[in-house]
Amino acid sequence: MSALYRQLRDVFVSLKLTVVLLALSLILVFASTLAQVDLGIYAVQEEFYRSFVAIWRVGGLALPLPGGYLVGGLLLINLVAAHLHRLKLQWRKAGIQLTHSGLIVLLIGELLTGLWQEDFQMAINEGDSKNYSESFRLYELAVIDTTDPKFDDVVAIPDSHLARATVVQHPKLPFRVVTKTYFPNAALARRDASAPSPAAGAVPIATQGIGPNVAVTPLPLTYKMNENNVPAAVVELIGADGSLGTWLVSPDLGAPQTLTHAGRTWRIALRIARAYKPFSLQLLKVTHDIYVGTDLPKNFSSRIKLTTPDGRDDREVLIYMNNPLRYGGYTFYQYQMDSARGLTVLQVVRNPSWLLPYVACIMMAAGLLLQFGLSLLAFIAKRRVSPTT
Amino acid sequence: MSSHRCFFALVSLALPVAGCRERQVASYRVLREKELPPASVAAGAPSSPAPNTPAMSGNAVSTANGPGLTWTAPTHWKPIAASAMRKGSYAVAGIGGADADLSITAFPGDVGGELANLNRWRGQLSLAPASAAELAATITRFEQGGLKFAVVDFDNGQQRLLGAIVPVSGSTWFFKLLGPAATLAKEKSAFLEFLQTVKAPSSATP
Repeated sequence: MSALYRQLRDVFVSLKLTVVLLALSLILVFASTLAQVDLGIYAVQEEFYRSFVAIWRVGGLALPLPGGYLVGGLLLINLVAAHLHRLKLQWRKAGIQLTHSGLIVLLIGELLTGLWQEDFQMAINEGDSKNYSESFRLYELAVIDTTDPKFDDVVAIPDSHLARATVVQHPKLPFRVVTKTYFPNAALARRDASAPSPAAGAVPIATQGIGPNVAVTPLPLTYKMNENNVPAAVVELIGADGSLGTWLVSPDLGAPQTLTHAGRTWRIALRIARAYKPFSLQLLKVTHDIYVGTDLPKNFSSRIKLTTPDGRDDREVLIYMNNPLRYGGYTFYQYQMDSARGLTVLQVVRNPSWLLPYVACIMMAAGLLLQFGLSLLAFIAKRRVSPTT
Repeated sequence: MSSHRCFFALVSLALPVAGCRERQVASYRVLREKELPPASVAAGAPSSPAPNTPAMSGNAVSTANGPGLTWTAPTHWKPIAASAMRKGSYAVAGIGGADADLSITAFPGDVGGELANLNRWRGQLSLAPASAAELAATITRFEQGGLKFAVVDFDNGQQRLLGAIVPVSGSTWFFKLLGPAATLAKEKSAFLEFLQTVKAPSSATP
């Protein structure tokens, strides 16, 4: 066994490391709680917990802190390493070992939730059906080949690629997609060509589609819970024979823009990121009951028809508060509705590791019970042996 | 397996796992969706509403009750079932699936007035709000069968909106045809003829 290995092992199995990591996680929780005032819960989760290094901005200072993945990951390694290093299969220690295993499962569960969980929404109008859900905050650039009269061939480029200005060359596209400019949050207005001030967008931002008629004003990012960042981007499409021009894309434009290239028709739009499902939901009816004589909501419910293309499932489901639809690994919760407009919004959650926290808690509870039980039995036994004292 | 091998495997595996969250470029084929006019995405608001606006639940909007208008739609307009909000709804077929949408809605009162509603329509086409004086020049007014029509035609180059606002006995009716500019250019005369068929019930006075 090499000296390096022994040194590393001693660091990773030490209780001192555990204490340091627990102290760091206390600091992390404290800093992120304060940061939540400015950033909101979603940004805090991403920047402090689902990262290796977090930057805490206090006043004019930027303090680097170990992020949730670093602290959690090291804790996990520390726990597992200590477990393996000191492993002794004894009844006396079974409770402690079960409790610690539960803790390991809990840490792994949180990691997998961060990696795998999808939290989307699905807004359906009465009578319409949908086979995709939409993100709450992510966007994508959809380049859609609409040449086939029945099908759309979609290439979806995540907004993170646009933000990094990655050049996207996809085998299904006869052109490269190059991001020229990206605004994480922007307001669009009609460009007034007669007003030559630069603020009014005297220079067209894009050459094709609706771009020449639109002025873009960059806005600061918002972290408020009830506001969304609406990105805008200017993308250039470059074919084999050179540039096809630049397009302004933004979810605020409403309609996708159309172009033809190499005998095929394409539509291009920056839209809310979609996740398609192998089944579709049709909204039959929304119901919003209130208590008689008041405005207090009593019940929100959506009657849904669930169908699969192969016809294996074709049934009606009633989704209401605390009674979600669970299907195909997804859970559909009643989220919002506008009964006057006949619109319902379902929250669509997929979390393959949702059971792990429950398993972890049961393991830890059982471990503690076992440990206390064994101690109690040992104590009683000791008292029986020496009744005279 | 010896414990130290386990331990090294864990150290080397645990950290890179967290790098898997990067979203990738995806490609897939889906059935062509029914072409939805963009107004249904941004209905009622000039800027697109935040998808997670929590204020939406149960904001019941009352539509106008009382005597309704009647009309005769052109035969090539396909009627769609009216909803709680719409008094009438038609799909107007365009070239190559570029369909337009005709909606007929009615609300009590003046719903904020003509200027606000016309600017709301401009917003749906991403057009900047216009002043009363600017709008006055774009409104075509006519009276027919005791009803006063204010007709507008807005165009953003891609999308076009033909609309009519009609006050009827204490409520306001809206006729809106929204869709691709090419489709609406073809349908404008049909829309104007359609407005001529709109009739008030005998008891209603404007």
